[in-house]
Amino acid sequence: MADPPTTAPQAQRSVGRRHLQLTTHESLHTRLVARDERALAELIDVATPWLLGVAESILRDGAEAEEVVLETFRRVWDQIGTITDTSAGLMPWLLRVTRNLSIDRVRARKRRVDAEVALAAEPLDEATRAVEPEFDAGVPGTPAHRAVHDAIHTLAPEQAHAVRLAFFSGLSHSEIALALGVPLGTVKSRLRLAFDKLRASLAGIREWAI
Amino acid sequence: MTSHDWYIASRVAYVTRTLDPGDERIFAEHLAHCNECREVTAVIERELEWLPMGVKPAMVRPGFRGEIARAILTKAQPARRDRWPLVLAAASLLLTAGALATVTLPARREATRLAGLLAQRETQLSQRDSLLAILRDTLSVVRESSRVLQTPITVNGTSGGLVIFADNAHRRWQVVMHGLPAAPAGQAYQFWFICADGMIRDATLVGDPLRPAVYTLVLPPNSGAVLGASLTLEPAQSNTTSGPKGRELAHLLL
Repeated sequence: MADPPTTAPQAQRSVGRRHLQLTTHESLHTRLVARDERALAELIDVATPWLLGVAESILRDGAEAEEVVLETFRRVWDQIGTITDTSAGLMPWLLRVTRNLSIDRVRARKRRVDAEVALAAEPLDEATRAVEPEFDAGVPGTPAHRAVHDAIHTLAPEQAHAVRLAFFSGLSHSEIALALGVPLGTVKSRLRLAFDKLRASLAGIREWAI
Repeated sequence: MTSHDWYIASRVAYVTRTLDPGDERIFAEHLAHCNECREVTAVIERELEWLPMGVKPAMVRPGFRGEIARAILTKAQPARRDRWPLVLAAASLLLTAGALATVTLPARREATRLAGLLAQRETQLSQRDSLLAILRDTLSVVRESSRVLQTPITVNGTSGGLVIFADNAHRRWQVVMHGLPAAPAGQAYQFWFICADGMIRDATLVGDPLRPAVYTLVLPPNSGAVLGASLTLEPAQSNTTSGPKGRELAHLLL
């Protein structure tokens, strides 16, 4: 959105990396609690591309993904007073809600087979390339994206593939086993090892605070 | 292996929502009465909270951000109709410029440049659109208000005031706090609705002597008739469920 005059500190962007320095996340949170509509506009401006990316990767339906993103913002606006654990800012909360809503929808509509077969058929290099930063590096949030991408690249290829199917496409253990044609135990073990590595490597991300 | 071992092994899968739906329900029921699993899953959730950022940011279609803002802040607004004259004006200007430019530049290159400019203008208009929706919504409360309440306030020798535009028909108030300094350290400006059933805590206002702070507040539901409003200076971390304890700066009745 445009750069409106505001009663709170203005949005600022660093010259070099241009990652988000909207305000401190505390002040954005405070302004949202105070029903500051411009704070909502700033949040929508910066978070929408990422939330839409999460929803689209799971739902594979642009219109439905937009509905999920709208519902996410509606929830943050309606429930901001009850959101207390914001040590890392609002973004993780928004990402979690978007992902959960998307998974709920996809499970409710029992879609699958075609999508999962197509996903499983993709060669591994295609599968991992899907999380590479091919977009404009000036997009706010890029440093956090890169950190995640780097962490995924430290995984073994079959683990990275399983993570992509499980986390970024929203498939469950059984669905992944079916799609890959491997035993359920193998899927569980790949994912357990992969997520344990990711927990260690992602725990330190503090780059992006809204 | 005990039965709890399955839950221990499934914690990460539960957090990442990769359990099959049946197992997910079983785990959720277990969480309700297992403190250890609740604590550990909360830790795992924090450790993996940035993982969704591994997706590529999606291209946001022009106008979508504005639609979100409008859907949340306003009832249906005829923004699309309002925007077309602006789009057409921009397109007309660009086409005129394009017609002049094509005299000296190859047609294809110029068409590409104009298409880029047009897309850029469309994005800018979309951004203006959402801002306009917000401003229109803010202004609508002022225009629809049935009562205007105001009172001067002095804090630490600085004079300011509180103005309320009460649109009771739509159950929304525009609250303007002006001229007041930032709240003293450890305190916050707290706005309260005075209702038939008691004082209802609402927004925390941010003091800025240079610019008025403007808030649109929705009247509290299920609290009886709203009779007025109060502004107090409260301890910043005061209990959100209790009534006012700090110094009252303003007390306004409808």
